[in-house]
Amino acid sequence: MNDHDTDVLDTLRGSLDAVTMGTPVEDIVSTGRARRNRRRLATVAAGTVAVAGVALGVASLANPPAGPPATAPGVNAAGEVHVRTVAYTVDSRADGTVQVTWTKQQWFEDPAGLEAALRQAGFPVVVKVGEFCAGPGDDLTLVHGTGPGVTGVVRPLAGADATFVFDASALPPGKQLFIGYLTPAQLEVTGGSPGSVERLVPIDTPLTCTTVAPPREGRPAGSEEDPSAKPVKPVK
Amino acid sequence: MEFTEFYRSERDRCLRAVLAGVADRQVAEDLVAEAFTRAWMSWHKVRRHPAPRAWVVRTALNLRVSWWRRHRREVDLGDGHVDTADGTGEPGGGLDPALLRLLRALPPRQREVIAFRVFLDLDTAATAKALGMAPGTVTAHLSRAIATLRGHLVVNHSQEQS
Repeated sequence: MNDHDTDVLDTLRGSLDAVTMGTPVEDIVSTGRARRNRRRLATVAAGTVAVAGVALGVASLANPPAGPPATAPGVNAAGEVHVRTVAYTVDSRADGTVQVTWTKQQWFEDPAGLEAALRQAGFPVVVKVGEFCAGPGDDLTLVHGTGPGVTGVVRPLAGADATFVFDASALPPGKQLFIGYLTPAQLEVTGGSPGSVERLVPIDTPLTCTTVAPPREGRPAGSEEDPSAKPVKPVK
Repeated sequence: MEFTEFYRSERDRCLRAVLAGVADRQVAEDLVAEAFTRAWMSWHKVRRHPAPRAWVVRTALNLRVSWWRRHRREVDLGDGHVDTADGTGEPGGGLDPALLRLLRALPPRQREVIAFRVFLDLDTAATAKALGMAPGTVTAHLSRAIATLRGHLVVNHSQEQS
């Protein structure tokens, strides 16, 4: 490129010197943020439609949109919780209880999301997969994976498969529900019975957890002298 | 580098480059704004790009086709590029219409080479990579563009001096 060529290009470059971008950076960022939030919600809705077959008013606690919403995701203006995901549904009921539907296989998709959804609905719960927890002095007896007092708190909904009503008013003071789901490897040992452990455990006291699954029916193998048992911080 | 810093330092340069590519002031601004929006959404990736401003301009120029498809009121000028048809006659947003006509007279690939080589100040190799063409092709396009522009720009320059 010779000097004449450079002059031509300099002239061309100079002819656009006065051209400046008028769009403020705030507009760029706000547009991008709004678009990203819409995509996240659309992704959640698409997953819900595929599995649950419902698509109205969908939100997920597991994938909250960026930025402060008017209400928490899955919570309507009346403070009711309605969450649909591929793994479960959580709905507040007029009587203060919480209706939950899940399949145990899908549970593993999002246990933390279910725990958050139940807590959002006002039901105190600890959910784990492959760990089984209890407080000091808790009765470790299990019948079909269910500890004492649980049946009054978690009741199957008549006529519905895998749908339960969680009743926080039935919880003894200072207690919360613990749900521990067996991993696929643990399920192979138990043959799916039990497929989970439910107990009422203290809210403000450290829990001791074990990774040893309960035997086929009855007392969890790790509930007595289990070397893998470890203390965990209290869960509130 | 943070996105805000990147935007404020590169927006005008990117706009001029895209303007050279599309020869329409408002279209160029819309395309650049959209490209920067996409850059913000993918900033974790764009910030590591060897030439983020080239990413923005490449994205903006790639958006041309879809932008024009959305704007049905515009009229094809015959070379694959369009001008507004609302009668205002100001597609350049106050720029010299003769300059815009001159840019439109160049083939699209020559305009793209000018955008990257002249207005983004990328070297031949970087321009070739950004446009997906051989370095020799970049040189050839630039040489032909200069040959076309030379007479017109020099004539205009001479007229201003007289």
